[in-house]
Amino acid sequence: MAELSPIERVTRFFNREPVDTMPFFTGMGMVLAPAIKKLGYNFPSIHRESAEKLAWAGIESARMFNLDSIVIPFDMCWESEALGNKISLYEESEDILYPTIPEKNWTELDQVEITQERIDTIMDQYPMTLIPEAIKICKKEAPELPVGAWQLGPFTQCGQTIELDKVLKGVFKQKEKVAEILDSFTDMIIEIGKGLQAAGADFITLREPGVAADLLSPKTFKEVIKPRLTRILSGWKSPKVLHICGSTDPLVEMMWECVTDSGGQAISFDIKNNLLESRKKLGDDAIILGNYDVFGLPCAEETTVEMAIEGIKTNIDGLVDAVWPGCDLWPDIKEENFRAMEKTAREYKTGPTPAVGRI
Amino acid sequence: MATKEELIEQLKNGVIEYEEDTVKVAAQQWLDDGYVALEGIMDGLAAGMEVVGDLYEKNEYFVPEVLMCADALYLGLDILRPHVPKKEGEVNAQVVIGSIQGDVHDIGKNLVKMMFDVAGWDVHDLGRDVPLESFVEEQLRTDAEVVAMSAMMTTTMLGMKKVIAMIKEKNPNVGIMLGGAPVTKDVANLFGADGYAESAGNAVTEGIKMIGRLREMQSK
Repeated sequence: MAELSPIERVTRFFNREPVDTMPFFTGMGMVLAPAIKKLGYNFPSIHRESAEKLAWAGIESARMFNLDSIVIPFDMCWESEALGNKISLYEESEDILYPTIPEKNWTELDQVEITQERIDTIMDQYPMTLIPEAIKICKKEAPELPVGAWQLGPFTQCGQTIELDKVLKGVFKQKEKVAEILDSFTDMIIEIGKGLQAAGADFITLREPGVAADLLSPKTFKEVIKPRLTRILSGWKSPKVLHICGSTDPLVEMMWECVTDSGGQAISFDIKNNLLESRKKLGDDAIILGNYDVFGLPCAEETTVEMAIEGIKTNIDGLVDAVWPGCDLWPDIKEENFRAMEKTAREYKTGPTPAVGRI
Repeated sequence: MATKEELIEQLKNGVIEYEEDTVKVAAQQWLDDGYVALEGIMDGLAAGMEVVGDLYEKNEYFVPEVLMCADALYLGLDILRPHVPKKEGEVNAQVVIGSIQGDVHDIGKNLVKMMFDVAGWDVHDLGRDVPLESFVEEQLRTDAEVVAMSAMMTTTMLGMKKVIAMIKEKNPNVGIMLGGAPVTKDVANLFGADGYAESAGNAVTEGIKMIGRLREMQSK
């Protein structure tokens, strides 16, 4: 029987204090179609129209499905837009499509210029101003729920402002320029994270999907990426989580060093990680999150409720410390699957997880 | 003056070592010396890319290296391809390729495109963020044998299913190839696709294997 409110549960969880039940939450994109339908919103309108819509889409998504967190915002284009790029909201599409940056203003690495003034004022630029406002609304209207904020890491963020292939090749061909750009983005991300935390975010996730070991070598990760991820996490208050999508098995120890060297709390993986191996490598002190399939379990037409339940059991048997998805939750969930997943998370195993005890 | 074998090695190693200038000079020399362009492509450039695929599989190369190798390969291809004669009445195989609407990532798509380019296919590249209907319209317009779609994110992957249904309804014989990080073999099967590559890297491996098979066929 749940005794703690979600905010108490998540706060205790990150403090490694015993909790009443397995947390079921996320720190990555989480807006669910049934919730926005109930609110009468259409998908393109929730992203930029107003802080209220942004906040309520998050609040209702969490409340409707008994999640232990709200996450704000939902798409990955905010910073790039604030730096002058135009976004596409796909307002004419009948499908659920997240905003994108169709064309980037900077086409070559040499054009990238992020001045200190730009960094210092980034939170004053539209649309960044909407996010703190939305976080404050969430804190006021849903005080029982912790608010998770997130930021992309510098490499992935770089790929949102200039074509990723240019950045990837630049790691070899224009080392110094890439280092300079990544340092600027690192400063900017620290500044934004501080702003989100000042607005009331209860925890923050640093997401760097563009650096997985199927894209960059572990050597490049160690030399180019790891120091900057550590610096960003060090610049933020706790609780803080590091997530990387894609192949992470060769990076697990280095990722965890980023977390521990910066006073962080948890590490998160996507579906490609071998969880049991990661647990073996990191030991029981590490709070490990993630890995469940965000499309296969809650959304796929062919996935039955029973299959979704089995998927969550497998995730828990993989020795995670909370049930937390491997990536952004896909909005168009099947309600019966997702409710069963939440119930399974709470009831399947009631004892302590490797890193977090039970009341 | 370099021998034929030395030029082949320069083309091949130029691709492997992503030495663009070496490839450019060797490709031009190959033509100037009167050698068959297709042989230079297959035994030089494509053979180099096969080695790149091996290096990628062995985790010695990663995507940045592969992209740089691809740049070198294209420089050679741009020089040699116009000199590959077309047999009378021969029609090249055709592929329609693009990243699905909502997805502005195209690294994987471009690597697969390279594979088709090397193989001498006529490639109709729709680019990225392509509306679903455009795949169907372009396939009908060109009567392409293959439609290849990529999605980098789960959030856009579902559009592929609609495109496949639309294309197969009009022309069930079209081969559909899917690619992208969220696309698994199961997803490809469920969507009714004929082939898949799960990531840019995997696309490289799969594509390069196809180049290898084409080279074998060429040599027979």
